[in-house]
Amino acid sequence: MNEPILEVRHLSKSFGANVVLRDIDFTVAPGDVTTVIGPSGSGKSTLLRCINLLETPTSGEILFHGKNVADRGVNAAAYRSKVGMVFQSFNLFNNMTVLDNCTVGQRKVLKRDAETARRSAMRYLEQVGMAPYINAKPRQISGGQKQRVAIARALAMEPEVLLFDEPTSALDPEMVGEVLSVMRDLAQRGMTMIVVTHEMAFARDVSSHVVFMDGGVIAEEGTPQQLFEAPKNPRTQEFLSRFRSA
Amino acid sequence: MNVFVKLGQDMVKLWSHYWVNYLRGMGSTLVLALVATAIGCVIGLVCGILNTIPYGPNDPAPKRFLLKLVRVIVRVYVEVFRGTPMVLQAVFIYYGLPYFTNSSVHWHSVWAAAILIVSINTGAYMAESVRGGIISIDPGQTEGAKAIGMNHFQTMVNVILPQALRNIMPQIGNNFIINVKDTSVMFIISFTEFFAFHRYITGVNNMYFPSAAIEMLGYLTVTLSASFLLRWLERRMDGADSYELVEGDPLVMTAGTYSHPDKGTPFDERSKEFRDRTSQDLKFGRTRGER
Repeated sequence: MNEPILEVRHLSKSFGANVVLRDIDFTVAPGDVTTVIGPSGSGKSTLLRCINLLETPTSGEILFHGKNVADRGVNAAAYRSKVGMVFQSFNLFNNMTVLDNCTVGQRKVLKRDAETARRSAMRYLEQVGMAPYINAKPRQISGGQKQRVAIARALAMEPEVLLFDEPTSALDPEMVGEVLSVMRDLAQRGMTMIVVTHEMAFARDVSSHVVFMDGGVIAEEGTPQQLFEAPKNPRTQEFLSRFRSA
Repeated sequence: MNVFVKLGQDMVKLWSHYWVNYLRGMGSTLVLALVATAIGCVIGLVCGILNTIPYGPNDPAPKRFLLKLVRVIVRVYVEVFRGTPMVLQAVFIYYGLPYFTNSSVHWHSVWAAAILIVSINTGAYMAESVRGGIISIDPGQTEGAKAIGMNHFQTMVNVILPQALRNIMPQIGNNFIINVKDTSVMFIISFTEFFAFHRYITGVNNMYFPSAAIEMLGYLTVTLSASFLLRWLERRMDGADSYELVEGDPLVMTAGTYSHPDKGTPFDERSKEFRDRTSQDLKFGRTRGER
């Protein structure tokens, strides 16, 4: 077994009196595709945002290569440059073209020169099929295209882990397909990913590990076979039965 | 009708006599408004940025204290200079300096005083506009920038400010136009701008109304030109509505696998005829027969 790349230990998060995450534990090894499923409001997105330190955990540890990044005094920016994130609402920079979106991080954060950054960006844009659109501004392309650019932007930083926060929830069914196929392709290339999603087929077919969250805790986790074929927790059974009948 | 003819004649008479003064006054007004708006924007930008530096309960206490202090100072500055008339500010600063220093320090240049007064006044307004511009940008933009590892400064410079500045362009224009007109109160510290020359000219003759008409036309000309210029600038900042697809040519071979036909053969792409033909093809499309 490889050394884990990311370990979440006893993570809790509350907003005031409202406890959103309670004692979350899980481990991600290199090459793992972990999907986090569960009803809305169960804390999936908050978990992902805590892992990327967009939210500060109330307690617990997030170990990245064994080092706790939730500690005070840890350079959050440096850590985030190694952990990419793809958002539900894309969050492409509106003032930049598609190409600039994918090069700005490389130039400013990784301090690459413009030509290296451009070449690397083009490689990833080609991978997601967006190379012809490098001159477009985000407002000029469709949602699915935006999300593919957002994935290329994250990839261009060459992250060790890529987090997806419901990447297809804002898209129509056709666009969902184009984004999922990009993600499936990434998984096959061995990218380590944590995916929060409502796409059960993706969770079942692509992931190596599935986490089912309910009410701020991990209700059940296991391989896709275990979770989808023989869920033990009645809450998991109930949740999955809705998707099966659909 | 006769009144208008008379007014026109008087205006022509005044203009032919005093046009140098009018133009010089307008020149001063324009320079003052431009310089002061520019400096005011910088002040506003700095204040707006200082005001929006985020801090959380996890930051060390000195940092939190410092940021809170900065916010209070900016707030006081904005409220004081936005809430008092510029005429009084001018009096306060121009005559206050000798007053408080027991007449040992004076303003040597009325220009410097005027620029300072109008700048800090504009800065107070712009500080709020910039703050509004920054908080109007979708938080997702900040999150997107943070997620690729940018720090606060990089996020601001590369992502937030370019968008915020575009959004506050109308405000900058507003302030410039207000400054063109409101610099007229600088006569109080004997700064000779456009309106001051009106006072001077009507002091030596009694053609009060024709001169006022000239002033009106003068101000309107300048502010209208400014409006058009700003609109044009905004459109330029927005960029083109369309974009060009960059299609990879499926027929282009990988570098090194293609050798060019020899010179002198009919297939030599480097010959002038071939290049001309290619450019014609690209421009007008191929002829029907060749297709």
